[in-house]
Amino acid sequence: MKITDAAVCPFPHGDSSVRRFALEAAALGFDSLVAFDTPSATYGGLEVRCGLFIQNVGMKDVIARVKRVNDPGTVVSVKAGDAGFNRGVVGLRGVHILRGVHAADKTAFDHVTAKMAADNRVAVDIDLSCLIVARGIARQRAVQRYRDVLVLEERFEFPLTLSTYARSVLDLRAVREISGLCSLLSMDLPDVEKALAGAGLVTAPQEPSVKVIA
Amino acid sequence: MTVRPPTLRDKRRYLLVRVDPPGTPVDQKELYYAVSDAVTSLWGDAVAGIIVQAVVCAEGDYVVIRCRRGTERELAIALSTITQYRDTKIALRIIAASGTIDSLRDRMKPPSGSAASTKTECRFGGKEYLSAHCDGQKVDVIEKGFKNTNRLFLTREDLETV
Repeated sequence: MKITDAAVCPFPHGDSSVRRFALEAAALGFDSLVAFDTPSATYGGLEVRCGLFIQNVGMKDVIARVKRVNDPGTVVSVKAGDAGFNRGVVGLRGVHILRGVHAADKTAFDHVTAKMAADNRVAVDIDLSCLIVARGIARQRAVQRYRDVLVLEERFEFPLTLSTYARSVLDLRAVREISGLCSLLSMDLPDVEKALAGAGLVTAPQEPSVKVIA
Repeated sequence: MTVRPPTLRDKRRYLLVRVDPPGTPVDQKELYYAVSDAVTSLWGDAVAGIIVQAVVCAEGDYVVIRCRRGTERELAIALSTITQYRDTKIALRIIAASGTIDSLRDRMKPPSGSAASTKTECRFGGKEYLSAHCDGQKVDVIEKGFKNTNRLFLTREDLETV
């Protein structure tokens, strides 16, 4: 089980190099990172995985961009849209994570999408930056939306991932701090551990449900 | 008003916190307002009244923050939501919690000698920078000139020394 921050944005999107991110993340208790637009590599024992984030495009473009992914280690994530879009994305082979559910419509992620996400092993991302940076009504709304997602997760058991969306090493949080922030969403320690390992789970090759022994 | 005997006083806990990036000048009062704002916005006035947070001392890159015993977790969560202080981006890293300030002083590391004592020129991504802080592999740099004074967080491997 690898403890992974499922989204960081190194230089030039942010102010920290990917190597510096790796150094700091290792000190904060992580085993791997998903970094947007950065080739996969290992720095000082910490695995950095290439992340592709598809946002603000239609379904056709999502399909085209997912097809263009050559590296099997790339973590493909798509920003959530309306209910129809989300169902389409979750059913698409090659998509690993659905992001930004807190910013989508209230009905955008319903029980049907949750069931599809569980069947297709697509994770739903919990964006911790909106708990850290936002204040007032924006944070309250995010907490409310994620609690709603967690009710569906408890019922359908689709994977979860946790992301800080750090653009700087100062935005990274330690594993203990993340578990504290997740307690705001009523997640206990085993839930947090499972969610931190979520990125590894959704990208691992799927084992066949029936195994031939002899 | 007479001072209460020790047995009647509130039990307190102290959190040792490191302020990142290193070298950030910390004003106790300003930081108290930042902490108080974070606690109040996250937990509300009622819980903030129970936590009774206070910035006890600031020494170098370290700060000791006091709270009522049993509320360390709430304070730690609130501290992790602090991202800015005086228009500067910061992060508060919790190092330890203890019942006395003395035991926390043992955990404070003295500032390393190499830290920003010699400003070396370096190159990154085709631009020239001045190092602002060095600690082992970590190098913080600021672009040369007066236009862009944002800090970049790099490592020695990222830099091409001029």
